[in-house]
Formats: sequence, C-alpha cells, structure tokens
Amino acid sequence: MERILRINMTDRTATFEEVPEKYAHRGGRWLTSSIVHDEVPATCHPLGPNNKLVFSPGIVTGTASPTSSRISVGGKSPLTGGIKEANAGTGWGRRLANLGIRAIVVEGQAKDGFWLVKITCEGVAFESADAWTGEKLSTVYPTIFDRFDGIESVDVCGIGVAGENRMPAAGVCFNDQNGRPSRYAGRGGLGAVMGSKGLKFIVVDDEGGPGLSPANAELFDAGRKKMAAALTEHAITKPEGALNSYGTAVLVNIINEVGGLPTNNFRSGRFEGAAKIAGEAIFEGNKERTGSTLYNHACSPGCIIRCSNTWHREDGSEHTSCIEYESAWALGANCGIDDLDQVAELNQLCNEYGLDTIEIGGTIAVAMEGGLASFGDGARAIELVEEIGRATPLGKVLGAGAAVTGKTFGVARVPQVKGQNMPAYEPRAIKGIGMTYAISTMGADHTSGYTIAPEILGVSGKLDPLNPDKAELARNFQYATAFIDSTGHCLFIAFAILDIASGFEGMIDECNGMLGTNWTADDVSRIGKEIIDLELDFNRRAGFTKIDDRLPEFMTYEKLPPHDVVWDIADAELDKVFSGRA
Amino acid sequence: MIEVHLYGKLRRFAESRDPRSASIVRAAWETGDTVGDVAARIGIPAAELGSNLFVDGQYAALDSPVPDGARLGLFPHDMQLLYKWYYRPKPAEDAKSES
Repeated sequence: MERILRINMTDRTATFEEVPEKYAHRGGRWLTSSIVHDEVPATCHPLGPNNKLVFSPGIVTGTASPTSSRISVGGKSPLTGGIKEANAGTGWGRRLANLGIRAIVVEGQAKDGFWLVKITCEGVAFESADAWTGEKLSTVYPTIFDRFDGIESVDVCGIGVAGENRMPAAGVCFNDQNGRPSRYAGRGGLGAVMGSKGLKFIVVDDEGGPGLSPANAELFDAGRKKMAAALTEHAITKPEGALNSYGTAVLVNIINEVGGLPTNNFRSGRFEGAAKIAGEAIFEGNKERTGSTLYNHACSPGCIIRCSNTWHREDGSEHTSCIEYESAWALGANCGIDDLDQVAELNQLCNEYGLDTIEIGGTIAVAMEGGLASFGDGARAIELVEEIGRATPLGKVLGAGAAVTGKTFGVARVPQVKGQNMPAYEPRAIKGIGMTYAISTMGADHTSGYTIAPEILGVSGKLDPLNPDKAELARNFQYATAFIDSTGHCLFIAFAILDIASGFEGMIDECNGMLGTNWTADDVSRIGKEIIDLELDFNRRAGFTKIDDRLPEFMTYEKLPPHDVVWDIADAELDKVFSGRA
Repeated sequence: MIEVHLYGKLRRFAESRDPRSASIVRAAWETGDTVGDVAARIGIPAAELGSNLFVDGQYAALDSPVPDGARLGLFPHDMQLLYKWYYRPKPAEDAKSES
C-alpha cells in the first residue's frame, strides 16, 4: 500500500497517510503539482510557513525501466512567485519508491536551526544538522555517507549555503551514483524553500522496504523492453552515441551554428569561443589530460543513455561533474567566457554552494552588463560566485537571481520571464522555444516544452524556425513534457521515442503495466493537459495574468546578430496557446 | 564560394581538425547546388551526415538549395541533437514554389 509521508518541521513530527483516491496513479510532476495546487495557498509567501515542499518519484521510478530514476520536487517558487516543479536524476527517488512512499510533503518551519531527516522502513528520525551548515557540499556529503553506512545504503538530498540563506537561485541537491553532490533539481529556488523550513538534509535508507510490484508484470516488462530497444537503437541515445560520447554539451556547436547561442547576456546568437567550451572540446581535453578516451557515465541507477561527463584538470584529477550544455552556455558563452577550466570552476562552485547554474550564469552576465565585470573575465566571475558562497550582501543580491541583480544595478536588458532567467536558446532566433519561454507555467524554461506530442509524431510539415505560427505546437509540447515528467523518465528518452514509435508505445505500456490502467497516446495529452491546467490555475490565483506570458521588451526591438531578428510573435499568438486562460 | 563548417568526425575533411577551433572548408559553388552536392564535392559520404545540417544557420536537408556565398554547417550522424520537431527541412520544391 502506497503512502504519503508528511513531515512537519515546526513540531518535528512525521505521519504517514494512505494515498487518497483522487491521487491514484499519479507520480512525479503530476503529483507534486496536484499537492501544491490543492494544499498551498497561492498567495502565500514562498519562504513562509504555509508553503510546502513536495517530493515525488515518477510512476515507474524504482522499477527495471531504463532511464527512469528522476525525482520531482515542487512548491511555490521564491524566484517566480508561481508554481514550480524541478527534477533531478539520482537514486534517491528509487529508494522512496522502494519504501512505498509516493510523496513527501514538508510543512511548517523549524525555528531552531537546521535539521537532518532520516527515512527508513521503520519510520522517520530527526537530528540536528547545524554542524554541517556553512560548508561546501563536497566536504559535507562524504561525512554524511560515512555516518549512514555509505553510498550503497543511502542517498542524500540536501541544500548548500545558498539554500541555508534562502537565496532564490538555490537548488535542491542530490547525489549521483558516486556520491558526488552534483545532481540538481535546480530551477526556481526550491532550495530556498527547503532552507526556510530549516531542513538541511533528507537521508533515505530503503533496506527492508516492500519494493514495487506492477499490476500487470507481463505488460510492464514488454513496455520496458520496447523502451530499452528504442534507447539503444537511436543515434543520440545509444551506447557511444551523441549523448554518451559528448554529453548534452554537444549542443554548444549546434546551437552556435544555428546562430541561437545567447552570447554576452543575449547580445548575439554566435559566440566566437563556442568550440572551446563545447562537448567535443570536453571530450578532447579529457583525452589529453587523462591519457584515455572517456565516455560519459550514468547520473542515476538504470540509465542506459549515460550522458554525464566529468572535466579534468591538467594534472588529470577530476575538477567537476558534470558540465551540461546549459551550464557550459550559462557560465561560458553567456558571460563571454571561453576558458573551459574557468567554466568548470564556476560549475563546481555552483555545486558546492547549492546554486542553479542557469540562473547564476544569467546573473553573472547581467552583473557584467551592470559593470561588476567585463564580459569574458572568468577570474572576476569566479570571485563573484565565491562572494555568493560567503553570503555577503553583494553575494545575496547575486544569489537572488538575474532579475533582482538587474534591478539593483540598473540593467534594462534582463532576459527573464516571470523572474526566471532564460536558458541556452535565443528566442529571437528559435521562435518555438521563445513561445515556450513565454507561456510556460515555470517561467523561462526549456525543459517544459522540450519534447513532442504524439500528434506531431510522423507529421510532415514545413516548420521554419523563424516562422512564428506555433501556438498548437507549444501547447502540445507542454502537455507531453508534463506527462514524461510524471513517469520518472529522463526527458532525453524523447529523442528516441520521437523517432521510434515502439519506444513511445513502450512508455505507455510501462505505465499501464505498472498501474493497471488502459492509457493510450490520447491519455498522454489528456493527463499532460490536466497537469498544466492545475499549474495555470495556481498561477492565476497567485496573481499571474497574460501580461506575465511575454518576453522582455528589449527583444522586440533589438536585432540579434547573425540573423538580425527580433521577437515579433504577436501577443495574441501567445495567448492562444492555453485558450480559455484569463 | 561556400564556407563549410565541419564538426565531429567530419572535421577530418578540413585542414584544421582541432575540435576546439573551426574546421572550415572553402568549396567552389555551382549553379543549382544543394547541400548534398557541396558535401559530395568535399568528399563527404552522405551516409555520414546527420539531420543537423544548416545553411546560413537555417535548418536544412540534403536536397536544400545552397546560394553562392552561403555558410554551411554540417554535423555527423552522431551529433544531431537539435529538436527536429521545431524544424522540418525545406525540400527543394517548396523553396522553388515560394520564389
């Protein structure tokens, strides 16, 4: 019998309750958004006692399904003021699933320091975590693992100094398979919510847990095999394919070639130094520095795509893991920095302090525009991020994100939507992603519309990246992504199941096999729509209107090289995406 | 003259092959050239090309027309991450009917 675990940080109690009928079949983002929608007052202060922090493993997380170890984290965002779901790849959610815990709801606020919560099959225990505060996470995580029998026994969720100081750029950290504190539910400041509740760590030991049993084992098995077949066949997701060889950073050269790689705070779509910080450069540099060809590793148990890289110093020692496309862009091209060692140091500092690399890259770029550093000055960028880590007043301004930094330093050109800095795709050059940025319930976000809806599979048509007619496309992407976010699968399965229809069938078979449901491709859209509607409703009650579904003004008149394009999608087009919205 | 930017395994068709810099081939242009024509002229087997082929930063296909002076960006089969669902290549017939 699956349960919801409620942890009250005010009086340090924990209660288990049966999953109510209305939440049957829900997992991942579907469940976190449902609970946030139903229980969090939309006008609450995100750092106050009435916000809640919700964790939920996906529908097939914890099973033998490949590449399905994602954990969703939800709450009201201190960065956007709207609903937020962020997810990470880690073994942590699997252990929850093995314990039969469908969701954790963290409520209330500790008034007396920071706490560590330990969850086992016997229950929940609280202990003081004050001794571990104020430190870099790479020094703290090993001591936590030592304390609790090692990385074979437990996984650890935590926040860094950024979350302790309730900074809106603070993410929620999880360990990877080697125990590195490097996997982040990064966006939207959920680390600050966790910090506001006095919660520093959640340690999960699933020994003795009931495990998972599918309603229809045969169907589930057939589904996961189709999924595995698609993933191992497709050029992007297969062993030694694009992602395993170069990681997501392979996109640096591709998006740069397109002329859509935001450079120097979104002033241009091409970066002269792009090739120096791209996936190929990482691959080549590692080869030179370690003397061997390094293929990438899995961030979490059961992933067969294995796209996580490590970057090594000149002496061959590991510097950071991992340099994702978004991080290489945010801390590199967007700041005009083309030195991979500096990008790696910035990446590592974000991991140490518990910060979202996308928001921090955007923040540093805005700070550069505001005169705190020159574009390209990697050494100064490192100093600024170290200041965030020391939580100085300037550090706290920067730790509040790009929009606040822009406001503080009189910068008009802040590339944000709903207070969240844009990720690594220029909307003026790639209008489809621009629409996603504008209308996503999450603020400027690339993952919320990253994938494809079944109606588009196999549809032939002429989509010109500069052609703005994309309302239906944007809507379908939102729905399909929301569904995938609920399964526990990594979004990168989309590359394979887009091209290989049996892979898409496999995802549906897995869910039906697990749950005993009879979903079809239509249900993928229906459920996705349900999730988005919940999120839209929350945001509306939180005070959002269609005015918040707009890109920054400067993009409407400032021509972006090399294509010299502006953002010219009509407001009416954006409002069409979720018709019926107030 | 066409400026062809090559990536990944395709860099070997250029003089400068360091993946941390640009690998560029300057190819002759002929009237009616398509992406496939230019690639073949350089000696790149079509089977090595992926779906991420660009003409002046626009998503293209093997049969897309290439104007004189264009910049081509060619990624190999194992480097094609750009979301195909935002882009479909413009086949040659449609380009002709639009002019």
